[in-house]
Amino acid sequence: MLTIHNLSKNFGSFTALKDINLEFTNGVYGLLAPNGAGKTTLMKIITTLLYPSGGEVLYEGQDIFKRGEDYRELLGYLPQEFGYYKNYSPMQYLLYIAALKGLEGKVAKERAIELLKLVGLENVMNKKMKKFSGGMIQRVGIAQAMLNNPKILILDEPTAGLDPKERVRFRNLLTDLSREKIVILSTHIVSDVESIANEIIMIKDKEILYKDSMRNICNLIEGMVYETEVAFDEVSSFKQQYQSLSEKQEQGKMKIRFISKDDIPASTWKPVSPSLEDVFLNIYNDEILEGDNQ
Amino acid sequence: MSIKVHEFKKVVTSTVIIGMILLFIAFNLFLVFDHHYIRNELTVLNKMVDELGYEINDEMLENFQDLYRDELKKMNEITNDKTSKTYGDVGTFFEEVRNDYDLYNVYTHKELDHMNQIMIMEIYLDFIKDMDHEYASFDLLEFAETEISLYGLQGSAAETARSNYEKLGDRLNQLLDNGEHKNMFFIGQIYGMHSLLFKDIFRVVSFEIMILVVLITAYIMNYEFENKTPLMVYSTRRGRNIIWDKLLVAMGSGVIATTLILGITLIAYFCLFSYKGLWTVPISNYFNWEDVFPLISWWDMSFIQYLICSIVLTYICGILFTMITFILSIFTKNSYISFFAFGILFGLILLIPDIMPRSNNLIFLSGFTPFHLVLNPQIWFTGRGIFTIFKYYEITIVGVWGLLLFIGGKLSAKRFIKEDIH
Ligand SMILES: Nc1ncnc2c1ncn2[C@@H]1O[C@H](COP(=O)(O)OP(=O)(O)OP(=O)(O)O)[C@@H](O)[C@H]1O
Ligand SMILES: [Mg+2]
Repeated sequence: MLTIHNLSKNFGSFTALKDINLEFTNGVYGLLAPNGAGKTTLMKIITTLLYPSGGEVLYEGQDIFKRGEDYRELLGYLPQEFGYYKNYSPMQYLLYIAALKGLEGKVAKERAIELLKLVGLENVMNKKMKKFSGGMIQRVGIAQAMLNNPKILILDEPTAGLDPKERVRFRNLLTDLSREKIVILSTHIVSDVESIANEIIMIKDKEILYKDSMRNICNLIEGMVYETEVAFDEVSSFKQQYQSLSEKQEQGKMKIRFISKDDIPASTWKPVSPSLEDVFLNIYNDEILEGDNQ
Repeated sequence: MSIKVHEFKKVVTSTVIIGMILLFIAFNLFLVFDHHYIRNELTVLNKMVDELGYEINDEMLENFQDLYRDELKKMNEITNDKTSKTYGDVGTFFEEVRNDYDLYNVYTHKELDHMNQIMIMEIYLDFIKDMDHEYASFDLLEFAETEISLYGLQGSAAETARSNYEKLGDRLNQLLDNGEHKNMFFIGQIYGMHSLLFKDIFRVVSFEIMILVVLITAYIMNYEFENKTPLMVYSTRRGRNIIWDKLLVAMGSGVIATTLILGITLIAYFCLFSYKGLWTVPISNYFNWEDVFPLISWWDMSFIQYLICSIVLTYICGILFTMITFILSIFTKNSYISFFAFGILFGLILLIPDIMPRSNNLIFLSGFTPFHLVLNPQIWFTGRGIFTIFKYYEITIVGVWGLLLFIGGKLSAKRFIKEDIH
């Protein structure tokens, strides 16, 4: 079990995270928050790259920084932005990372081949990476994270740069690989976590806002989401009254999905069941509005 | 182990590093072969030593003179044959020949070559004749006073200098008692072989090695930061401790580069210039007295011992520079900045003695750096210059800097381990 206790992180006088308390057991956790919320910062602390300014991170009750190699041995990490060695092939690169992870030569090679097959790069495993597309590089990154069959897998925006086909493939892969592991993945693409995460974690104002199953999180706004059609000239006044979640033109009218906390809905409103995206937009709406007002 | 192999691969696949090594070797070969023209004259000494031994004593001198007289007689038979002339010494013969082209043409190349060899024997005999007088009239303390006033030393600094020269004077007397000076070697005043090897070649090599180890160390220390892979690499099991692997690989690569450059250069040198029969000649011999100051090594060392010590010191300097760059890289995280920071450090440290007060012993301390060491390999293990005359100059630098850099390296690494990696 991975426990984060009263964690805070400052960069100089800027506070990126404060009072974070979290517990992870085996399962997939989706870290869902807008840009700059501190997702990457949290992950870098869990991977021991950043030291906390306050609080602690424990694995099986022991401080991860004190455990050092013992702890990092269990880690797999795909950074959000990562470089690669242009003149290395994926095979060479994986063998290098495998050495750093303490894998023996022969085991490392077998494991690397297995993973490169899994991410669909077996045909190019001896080609230099400088010719690779962004998606291919991303897949090499996913493969290197899995090398040591990690107990804790940290994926920072793993689907960024993947095309829809690869995205689906990645989701299936992850469902396979995530057994008996703590998987934490960050994204701001709601559909990524919807299908695979057991729990969603939302960060707001540098603190954890929710950590719950998707259903419970969606229940937060159950009965408040509607769809209705509005004439074009009324759209702007409607949007001032209610928080719009999405809009679509349909047959000369505007179809609006929105949130209303009124008790008595109008008869033209069609209640719909809330999606994670609705919650996301609802939660971070204030932030966006605040930003607009400033 | 395998981590180190991977790190080492980064070095050997760097075109810049490999290119520099090749360039340096080519330059050194050029430097060595540039002096090839003295090669033939030098072999005369090998032959003499083969017959007479290198130790100059009464018996050897007698044999030497006999040999010379025999050769002179043979020469006079030839000259008498061809021109009905005889000569008291070869010097006069060459004087005549030089001024008279017809006379020159009388002799074959081979004959002239042979006469030239006798000429060299004659020069050696002349030198040996002056030897005792030269040492007797050499005033070390007067030299000391000239140096002191040249650098404007005063007070305790001047006292230190004087006492150092007195110690060197004691060593000179010991050397003369031992007869270390009474040995045959290439004539320094004519060929300057000691300077060629230990000043020109070793200085260039030390400098090249310094550049290379700084380049290698900066390159592998900052490799991840420059390729934007530190997040992946430093979160693996080995993690931040990989810098220790990097340090060892940098040192190892530096040692290999040193072996290549120094090895090839010295092999070329000793292939071109034969030191046959001369390896065990004491280094402080009379013939290594090239200019105003005799060569006085602090210890009774043979040429080969002196050479080996110089080689070892070259390796050690390389390792010290590796450690300096290791520390710099931890702070800069950029190989270019590390490289320039090293250059600036080098410049500043060389400047410090100039701005030190001349009356304080600190001025000597500021010259105790590996940078001063690589710039003056010709004075290694000997006493001469006012700032480097200390008997344990080299050993002190290596010991003190080694210790300081070890501590500095440990502290910097500790800092790195505790540092955020962005
Ligand atoms: N090294 C740093 N120095 C100063 N501020 C930083 C540093 N790293 C991150 N920050 C700040 O901390 C905040 C959180 O950044 P972080 O990268 O963790 O966000 P994120 O949720 O991963 O965003 P994104 O979705 O864009 O990746 C941001 O405001 C960022 O500017
Ligand atoms: Mg991020």
